[in-house]
Amino acid sequence: MDLMELNAVVETNQFIVIRLGEEQYGIDIKYIDNIVRIQHITRVPQVPMYLKGVINLRGEVIPVMSVRLKMGLPVDEIEKDSRIIILKLDSHGNIGIIVDQVKEVVTLDSNHIEKVSYDGKEDRVNYISGIGKYEGGLISLLDFSAVLAE
Amino acid sequence: MDVSQYLEIFLDETKEHLQSLNTQILNLEHSPEDTETINEIFRAAHSLKGMAGTMGYKRMQALTHEMESAFDGVRTGVLKVRSSMIDAIFQAIDALEEYVGNIQESADEGTNENIHIIKSLQDIIAGRDVEVAAAAPEVKVETEPEPVAAGETEVIEVTETGSAGSKGAWQNVPLGESETAVLTIAKQQGKNVFGITVEIQSSCLLKAARAFLVFKAIEDIGEIIVSEPPTQDIEDERFEQSFSMVVITEYPLYRVIEAAESVSEIERVTGGDLVLEGMAAEEDSSETPAAESLMVIEDSQETQGGPQPEKKSGRPVINRTVRVDIEKLDVLMNLVSELIIAKNSLVSATSSEESTTRSGVNEQIEYLESVTTNLHESVMKVRMVPIESVVNKFPRMIRDLSKKMNKKMELYMSGEETELDRTVVDEIGDPLMHLLRNAADHGLEDTSERIRQGKPESGSIFLDAYQEGNNVVIEVRDDGAGINVDMVKKQAIKKGIITFEQGENMTDNDVIDLLFHAGFSTAAVVSDVSGRGVGLDVVRSKIEALSGEVEVRTTKGEGSTWIVRLPLTLAIIQALMVTVGGEKYALSLGSIQTIEDIKPENIKYVQAKEVINLRGTVIPIIRMNEILDIESMKEPNDDMIVVIVKKAEKLAGLVVDELMGQQEIVIKSLGKYISKCRFISGATILGDGEVALILDANVLI
Repeated sequence: MDLMELNAVVETNQFIVIRLGEEQYGIDIKYIDNIVRIQHITRVPQVPMYLKGVINLRGEVIPVMSVRLKMGLPVDEIEKDSRIIILKLDSHGNIGIIVDQVKEVVTLDSNHIEKVSYDGKEDRVNYISGIGKYEGGLISLLDFSAVLAE
Repeated sequence: MDVSQYLEIFLDETKEHLQSLNTQILNLEHSPEDTETINEIFRAAHSLKGMAGTMGYKRMQALTHEMESAFDGVRTGVLKVRSSMIDAIFQAIDALEEYVGNIQESADEGTNENIHIIKSLQDIIAGRDVEVAAAAPEVKVETEPEPVAAGETEVIEVTETGSAGSKGAWQNVPLGESETAVLTIAKQQGKNVFGITVEIQSSCLLKAARAFLVFKAIEDIGEIIVSEPPTQDIEDERFEQSFSMVVITEYPLYRVIEAAESVSEIERVTGGDLVLEGMAAEEDSSETPAAESLMVIEDSQETQGGPQPEKKSGRPVINRTVRVDIEKLDVLMNLVSELIIAKNSLVSATSSEESTTRSGVNEQIEYLESVTTNLHESVMKVRMVPIESVVNKFPRMIRDLSKKMNKKMELYMSGEETELDRTVVDEIGDPLMHLLRNAADHGLEDTSERIRQGKPESGSIFLDAYQEGNNVVIEVRDDGAGINVDMVKKQAIKKGIITFEQGENMTDNDVIDLLFHAGFSTAAVVSDVSGRGVGLDVVRSKIEALSGEVEVRTTKGEGSTWIVRLPLTLAIIQALMVTVGGEKYALSLGSIQTIEDIKPENIKYVQAKEVINLRGTVIPIIRMNEILDIESMKEPNDDMIVVIVKKAEKLAGLVVDELMGQQEIVIKSLGKYISKCRFISGATILGDGEVALILDANVLI
């Protein structure tokens, strides 16, 4: 019994900490294919605002979305720290998201992850699957099924 | 002999033969006396039997054997072609197709014996089909002696190789009544009756000559009663790697085998005692054909007429192949050589001293360009196969539908030789089948209704294929009632696909488009022919997945035409690069008619839409910057660049800012996530690494 509990407890995941505006978010490393610098994004007409367009990643055409716009944050300001994180998702194929900065990789065990309860009042809560606590503060763990939902 | 390496060839050829059988038998139904057709059918059945035998597919072989016998009867004039016979043969072909399907899945033919088909074929051969047709389809008790009635026998494999595979094809040598009699007498006289199978080395060039020597050697010590294939065929080299025979001799088996093996280039010789146990062996319905009931003992492995050895069941499905004309490969080879020359010239041009370098490199790049273009075209051609392989099964299907639905109809096809990419050809079968079924079921009226309307009693369905620019068009046309727009509308409202108000405002074309809506079916009664409501939306999505499109035209009382348009190739196209508002876009050259300079004052309005009058034709214009949501870089009173594009009979002018020139582009998918935008058919990567979107003119029109 004790052992089982222990096993469940020590499960750890690595997260990449990114910055969007003033907030820090975490992305489970298993979803990440690649991190590239901002490059020319070809606009695609008649798609939702948050879809910025497509980029050429070594011969592959990959759609890029703005997580900021999707989550209702102010428009991206492309700065020198801005990056495109290429996510690899079974449900959607490869897809890039624009972030303001990629900060570090942290390891969190499930002890330090708090599930969020949905109170349904705030929209943004819906894009987050949990809150992670580490020395650097709090990170919101992104829930991609919600972020990428159309 | 391990036959697995021949599996692909076997499947390919079997399918070809089955297809040819289907076609020929349809012919036969129309002209039952045509000897050419009958011979053709006989040959196909014969080859099928031979191949199935070589591969060790006993059930298939047994079935084809009966087919062959039936047509042998027809060929020699003993039997007359009757509709009951045609039906039985079609059933047999279906069963064979099932076997082939099983083999393709698992390298095993499955366990369905198809006893009743064999039975009905045998009845036909014996001329009893007339009674059978009258009687219930129960299995009749066989009373007449079977041509071959073999009991159990022991077989000694006289080779070291204990591999499974063809285990003595001699067991399947067909014996006629006279042969059986001769053999029985020989037995009674205490002579040995052996079955011998001789396999010739695959490297052997003069198979017929070797076979002749084998015959000669054996005839020195015995008497050859019958051979399979027949002597004439062997002499004409019309056999695969092996042939079999039945020999009467006073010598023991090993002498016979030695005699045969004394001939050079013989792979191996197998043989055994052919035991004829009683002429009138009982045949209950579970009994497999004669050859099947033989028991074969090979080394320690005992194989009964049951399923194939276990090890085969897990075999993966075979690869998809394309048969390539050797000429096409030669062209490819030449082009690759040229490519190498071009590369070498480039290397030397860049390493040579300045002065002439510049022009030299440019020249070589132009050369390289022409080579790569040709290379692409040739590779594309290698992948192209005629749609024949797909559409050939349709006449049969329509025939069956016609019988099933009791509606008279004929299918007329043209352009079967039109070539398409193999991947497209593989995928297009189902959608076309749906469209044909749809035409047969919903399109054509009942025979009585047709007579009442003064139309020819028999409905016509047309399937026409032809190439149009960079596309291949396949049209499915019927001369039926056409689409009843009001009915479709009513049905859509009833099913909740549209509201009543929506229905009021819809144009006929919009309503017809509803047919492609998932879960839509107008058939009042759901038949098993069509009308499950999964047809047309699947058709559309499948065709769109192939970057094609489907369009319907209908005239009430005169019929409907379903037009399927497919791109010739999926990967690389010639495109015109244009800019709109500073962004680059590609337009497939295939859809472009002309490019025109138009002065703004030449724009006219028709029904509040902008049109131009181009040499007498009124063409609507589409301002691309509006479609693409971007500011045009041009001043309103500048001359406009209008690209005239064509889709079937419709024309439209696309207004763009600038032309950049023609380029060969590689089509990339935009990915699953961005699939909403219908007029963007994909993207391509330009020389500078930037992504440009490909506009689909067909959707824009």
